[in-house]
Amino acid sequence: MVPTRSACHLDLPAGRIVREFLPRPAIAPAVVWAFPAPQRTQLSNGIELMIFELPGQHVISAHLVLDVPLNAEHRDIEGVATICARTLDEGTLRHNGEEFAELLETEGAGFGVDLSLSGTQVVLDVPASHLDRALELFAEAVTEPSLADRDVNRHVQLRLAEIEQALANPAQAASIAFRAAVFNESKRAARMNGGEPQTVSQVTPDAVGAFHHDHFGPAGASLVLAGDFAEDPITVAERCLGSWRNDDQQRVMIEDPTPGPRRAVLIDKPGAVQADVRFGSFGIDRLDPRWAAISIASYAMGGAFLSRLNAVLREEKGYTYGVRMNLGPLHRGGSFAIQGSYRTEVVVDALAITRELINVDDAPFSSQEVNDAVAFFTGVSPLRYATAEGVADQAATQVLAGLPDDYVDRSLALLRSVTPEDATEAYRSIVHPDELTLVVVGDADQLADPIRALGFTDLEVRPPALA
Amino acid sequence: MWGMTSGALSKLGYPIVEHTLENGLRVISSPDHIAPSVAVNIWYDVGSRDEELGRTGFAHLFEHVMFQGSAHVASGQHIALLQAAGAVVNATTWFDRTNYFETLPTGGLDLALWLEADRMATLLDALTQENLDNQREVVKEEKRQRYDNVPYGDVMELLNTLTFPPDHPYGHTTIGSMEDLDAATLEDVHSFFQRHYLPNNAVLSIVGDVEPEDAFERAEIYFGRLRAGRKPGKPDARPLEPLSGMPRTEASDKVPADVVYFSWRLPARGSRDFDALDLALSVLGHGQTSRLHKHLVRGTEHAEGTGASAMGLIGGNSFGFSYARARDGVSPEQLEQEMSELIEQLVSDGPTDEELRRAKAQFERHWLHELARVDSRADALGEYATLHGNPHLINSRIAEITAIDDDELQSAMQQWFRPDQRATLIYRQDAS
Repeated sequence: MVPTRSACHLDLPAGRIVREFLPRPAIAPAVVWAFPAPQRTQLSNGIELMIFELPGQHVISAHLVLDVPLNAEHRDIEGVATICARTLDEGTLRHNGEEFAELLETEGAGFGVDLSLSGTQVVLDVPASHLDRALELFAEAVTEPSLADRDVNRHVQLRLAEIEQALANPAQAASIAFRAAVFNESKRAARMNGGEPQTVSQVTPDAVGAFHHDHFGPAGASLVLAGDFAEDPITVAERCLGSWRNDDQQRVMIEDPTPGPRRAVLIDKPGAVQADVRFGSFGIDRLDPRWAAISIASYAMGGAFLSRLNAVLREEKGYTYGVRMNLGPLHRGGSFAIQGSYRTEVVVDALAITRELINVDDAPFSSQEVNDAVAFFTGVSPLRYATAEGVADQAATQVLAGLPDDYVDRSLALLRSVTPEDATEAYRSIVHPDELTLVVVGDADQLADPIRALGFTDLEVRPPALA
Repeated sequence: MWGMTSGALSKLGYPIVEHTLENGLRVISSPDHIAPSVAVNIWYDVGSRDEELGRTGFAHLFEHVMFQGSAHVASGQHIALLQAAGAVVNATTWFDRTNYFETLPTGGLDLALWLEADRMATLLDALTQENLDNQREVVKEEKRQRYDNVPYGDVMELLNTLTFPPDHPYGHTTIGSMEDLDAATLEDVHSFFQRHYLPNNAVLSIVGDVEPEDAFERAEIYFGRLRAGRKPGKPDARPLEPLSGMPRTEASDKVPADVVYFSWRLPARGSRDFDALDLALSVLGHGQTSRLHKHLVRGTEHAEGTGASAMGLIGGNSFGFSYARARDGVSPEQLEQEMSELIEQLVSDGPTDEELRRAKAQFERHWLHELARVDSRADALGEYATLHGNPHLINSRIAEITAIDDDELQSAMQQWFRPDQRATLIYRQDAS
């Protein structure tokens, strides 16, 4: 509770206030808001087109969602999807490498790719007046890229260098080790989306060409366009992408991950002043009936600024810049992790406190916690989806996860129906404090024994990630 | 519906209405009814450049203390109350400013203004040694997490030191040093607050689903009761000459690749010369068609990554830098030589028409993105009102950038951006 004081203050510092104190204002009820509904149509080749008209949004956001899950990659050359996607804008059959990028950038366009386990997105941002020309170039990159040997080989080398950079960063190294532990190692989800060094180094130009030929195509694809259009977006989309065909396109079912065995891992980083910690397990996806309840529980445990974890570990103890509980929903299944970094001297105490706090057996979630979480999720939605980028990104996410167009509205309604008992029950059915996987990246000399003494007797110490 | 061609959006028309309260607080309103949300943003005209010797990092530490409660708000409750009203809340500190902001459903506007006013008025009432010590630890964890425990985390500090004299307002980083953070006292917090956190040293922007008259009335209710103070003087902002003597330094650590960094002193933001150099750095190192990427990543394949950027600052000079990360087997000396030649070429021949057009088009997209969201638009309004005294500039930035011609660009480069006006940092892989 916030302390309130009497209405008049004569003891305030001299000079600051000239009139009496005002009581804390109440919050006026929120205006009803709904996620925008797309206009849906199909291009003549079957690509599902979703148009969001958003007045005042002068930068158009286009997301082409391709039905290319990462488990379409052959196990020996994982990373091939990433190399393929990254080489798309290095030149097309009509425009060589430098020329292509120059044309696109002259239109003021930004081109990007985003690979997730359930599909590949190719993304274009461009001022509305340049959409026509930019989408034409975008379509060229997707449908007829050169994928030249030299470009593919360079992207393989750059990806290998990128992995080195990631492993040298303790937060990234912790997340990489965490996914490898939480998911069953036979599943694609256990390994980096961009591929691991052993398989990336096996990716050849032929393999990239074959991957594009076999998997890139209009079947199962959706194009999301959002913004304040200067011309009819359906005509533009049809002209640029409506005639794309690939009769050889192979579609692959998305692989559902399964849990890996519980583990405790310490990756040595000699001399590190901090340790990065991930503590979590296998989780659920957005279609699970417990999703709304676990979202609220997770916010109360480690999402809000004064969440149970952050209130103690940051605001009371000063052990960390911030600790969070994150949910990582996949197409089916997922993961959750409590993550933070702590100075070496207090890591073990932070872990002990975390283990106590995440046990809610004697501390069920309160109606205040549930109300605050609902108010937060409800309140941030209108702004999050007020831009072309925000709407298109969410719509594409929904396509990949197999969710309906009114998912945001439905999920907010579901959140509002969650009771404290629901939140506690869902949390307890998913978070089993004694069965969580632990990953620490830190100074093993100082940390290994005390972590074992905490009860992680099976702690496995690994050498530094970066040789 | 799409009959209108937006054409070149060189003249934007975001509505901007200004009003100054009697106590000097500048209030800016920009109504936008796209969503039932409002962004509240306060820029205080104080940043790390205002710090005293021996107190580096203090402006940022102070920003943390601002969340530890005030006369009518308990510690941590500023964010907790706002989040429970559906707000996204944060604050940042940089060389030239400290900004505090929240975006939330319009029904929470009064709460946001009340909370901001309460801490502007009565922060010191709630200040305790315990709160200060706790946030000192939190800030030290932030420094470890973002700078000390990550590869290349000290680059910013090394480049600052190379580019500005140690006693210059930009000669140290915003995060500061552990020693100085340890040295900060309650008295420092008191005097910093009394000196800088004044209604007449702040700009309040209210952007979103609220009309200007309404915004001004509410600002008056909550902030009108605060008294003005003496506006603090600003640190010495006389422009320094471009760097001379080609200062250089080396660092080594367990990093995955050798990296070469160049830095330059540039003119202060708000000048055509700065805008011209911003474009020049974009041509040099922004995006796939930039010269560094084209020649070093794609061409010779000697670099795994390159970049260049201008960081606009208001106090006499700005800061510009470029970098290239070496591929395995390429020496940083070789990369340095190649970077230097590319820059020399750019300075002597200037960019091509196409390159200049691309740099301007990329700026346009970036700027439109910036203004598309009510929260970042509120921040831009505070920025241009605080640093340039004119929030309306956000509507003319694209036109200003578009108007820069090749001659201006060349003359700005000749004056500020020659290879011999750079500082060099070589960051080496520690082999041990």
